[in-house]
Amino acid sequence: MHELGVLNALVHTVEGIVREEGLTEVEKIVIEVGELSGIVPRYIEQCYPAAVYKTFMEKTALELVVVPGIVKCRECGRVFNAAANDLYCLDCGGQNLEILEGNDMIVKEIVCR
Amino acid sequence: MNGFKVLQVKQSVFADNDRRAEELRQELKKQRVFLLNLMSSPGAGKTTLLSRTIEALDGKLKVGVMEADIDSDVDARTIESFGAKVIQLHTGGMCHLDADMTRQGLEALGTGDVELAVLENVGNLVCPAEFDTGAVKNAMILSVPEGDDKPLKYPLIFSVCDVVLINKTDVLPYFDFDMEKCAANIRMRNPKAKIIPVCARTGEGIDAWVGWLCDEVTKWKKP
Ligand SMILES: Nc1nc2c(ncn2[C@@H]2O[C@H](COP(=O)(O)OP(=O)(O)OP(=O)(O)O)[C@@H](O)[C@H]2O)c(=O)[nH]1
Ligand SMILES: [Mg+2]
Ligand SMILES: [Zn+2]
Ligand SMILES: [Zn+2]
Repeated sequence: MHELGVLNALVHTVEGIVREEGLTEVEKIVIEVGELSGIVPRYIEQCYPAAVYKTFMEKTALELVVVPGIVKCRECGRVFNAAANDLYCLDCGGQNLEILEGNDMIVKEIVCR
Repeated sequence: MNGFKVLQVKQSVFADNDRRAEELRQELKKQRVFLLNLMSSPGAGKTTLLSRTIEALDGKLKVGVMEADIDSDVDARTIESFGAKVIQLHTGGMCHLDADMTRQGLEALGTGDVELAVLENVGNLVCPAEFDTGAVKNAMILSVPEGDDKPLKYPLIFSVCDVVLINKTDVLPYFDFDMEKCAANIRMRNPKAKIIPVCARTGEGIDAWVGWLCDEVTKWKKP
């Protein structure tokens, strides 16, 4: 049920923006999902209709943009895609990694009026 | 394009919850109530450690506990038998608690006579880390049988914790658990986390943990 909880949080966040900006209609939202966020894009897509059912977002389209999980090895300095490499450094095998990008889930854009 | 515009937002999906959590924290500060969010995998020892903690506090702090079991009141009854005020939170099958659910829990518990409120979060290492509950401090329990590589597999929860309790040290002889390696793995994710090995069964390390907790409560209650 994790993705449903995340989407529920999303609906509340968009609701806040709609109120603040005085919007009347939200046609589409563009969401960035980081590869290292622990959130699975496919599940988000599957849960979305249930999460927005009977909310003001019922007719709002969802566009997901996957953001690569980029990390920097603190041992040797190499920068690489960690999601594709199981969180091990390609060069030195180290696991002391600093996450540079792809750690979170962000509302990027709202197409609205 | 019939009046539609594109609004650049760039806000976390959790922004609304983060805001509510911050509001709750500010209110708790005014009421001088310290809220601890206790997280772990199922069965790592949250309820047992909490019982030990209440025992060790020996009435020094007035404790209130919120138990977020998905569907039973077993833990709530255990805590009650140790003399703390307790309520059962109904999560409706949710795998985590957010700031609103925590607020409702605190209202149901009644914090007028509580100095230390503890939220036993749902046993799960993923989403509780993403949802700020409004707690003053986050604690997590990692138990020895789960392995010393957990911080590598679940980086987020370790990065949001102020303190990590390594529980069930009594079973160390039976597992390939390297305490040094575990501490190093935790520090990679969170250099600031305090790490305390404890054993809820034998009581080892409980003094250090209760000492940390009492210091934090005292700091929070200062205006
Ligand atoms: N050997 C040993 N067992 C422990 C220790 N602490 C807890 N346990 C046992 O671990 C099991 C689970 O403990 P609980 O305190 O119920 O764990 P919990 O995290 O509250 O579990 P859930 O609420 O179900 O997620 C029980 O059988 C406890 O007796 C410990 O320090 N050593
Ligand atoms: Mg429990
Ligand atoms: Zn969840
Ligand atoms: Zn490296």
